[in-house]
Amino acid sequence: MGFGDLRSASGLKVLNDFLSERSYIEGYVPSQADVAVFDAISSPPSADLCHALRWYNHIKSYQSQKNSLPGVKKPLGQYGPAGVADTTSGSAPAAASKEDDDDDMDLFGSDDEDDAEAARLKEERLAEYAAKKAKKPTLIAKSSILLDVKPWDDETDMAKLEECVRSIQMDGLVWGQSKLVPVGYGIKKLQIGCVVEDDKVGTDILEEHITAFEDYVQSMDVAAFNKI
Amino acid sequence: MALRELSSLEKFLGLKKPNKYSTQGDKKVPVLQSNNGPALVGLVTIACHLVKEAKRPELLGDSAESRAVVQQWLEHRVTKLDGCTKEDVKTVLKDFNLYLQDKVYLAGNQFTLADIFMYYGIHSLIVELAIQEKEQYMNVTRWFDHIQHYPSIRHHLPPVAVLRNRIYTGRHH
Repeated sequence: MGFGDLRSASGLKVLNDFLSERSYIEGYVPSQADVAVFDAISSPPSADLCHALRWYNHIKSYQSQKNSLPGVKKPLGQYGPAGVADTTSGSAPAAASKEDDDDDMDLFGSDDEDDAEAARLKEERLAEYAAKKAKKPTLIAKSSILLDVKPWDDETDMAKLEECVRSIQMDGLVWGQSKLVPVGYGIKKLQIGCVVEDDKVGTDILEEHITAFEDYVQSMDVAAFNKI
Repeated sequence: MALRELSSLEKFLGLKKPNKYSTQGDKKVPVLQSNNGPALVGLVTIACHLVKEAKRPELLGDSAESRAVVQQWLEHRVTKLDGCTKEDVKTVLKDFNLYLQDKVYLAGNQFTLADIFMYYGIHSLIVELAIQEKEQYMNVTRWFDHIQHYPSIRHHLPPVAVLRNRIYTGRHH
């Protein structure tokens, strides 16, 4: 929309054509729309633009009631025939058209802005998604392992043994229940369960750590291994 | 026809009590019989009387010049327009078109009785105009469209669709 540059001949011609079948810029009564366009024209149109001249003289007669005319003043680019390129941003003098600049920038630049905006949003969302994905514990594989820890003999302090075993702290290792199971000849083995994350803890490492307590632990076996 | 115009005018002016009219002669000139005075004869006379009664003197024109113009067009309406022949229509419209080239309203910048009555009078002509002709008399069409949208003016007359998309661009002016 818009009339083009109203200070140039081409813009005035657009206005003239527009007004050839209209008495006012908008609607059927004088309004702020007319005031806006009137203010944009620096001098009365020439006589060959008869419609523009007619309209100009008519609106001029409303000069005293300029501020009481109905409507809201919109930037110049919003009036006029559709399909005319809005050039007010390029030619603008002074203050009022500064607003036009911004508005017109919005009118035409908004597409680009929108694209940039959309692209930015998209990237943001992608980043968020990626972060979320990374954070999300992608179904950590866990296993529940039942370990048999055998002491040297029946005089081994099982409590101490258990304490030693439980002292093994590893990332991804959570000790569970334990019980003492008699094996025979008074020897009891410690059956202790734990939940491990497969990626982080393996049974061989566990075995290493446990059998490190050589004073107490004779050997270690995996009694049961269940995937959770 | 004239009587309907007068009653429309009454409605437009917001006159509370509609008057009773009668007609006189074979031309059906309207007559207003008032209680305490002579009968008023003639469309224009009665119309002006109604306007004064409704206390809307601005409808008759603000300045002396515009008052004269209003009277001129009212007279034009009665003499030239009413009962004009087919051949005259073209001339009438052409003159009208030329006149309206630099004016929004008939009397310059204000809506007056002249606009009202020319609207009533010309309505029947415009209705019959083809689109091509409407575009030929661009100013008349513009003025006509403008007046028929004026609030409460168009009572007994159907609206005329004025084609906005011009088929023949650049023909006039």
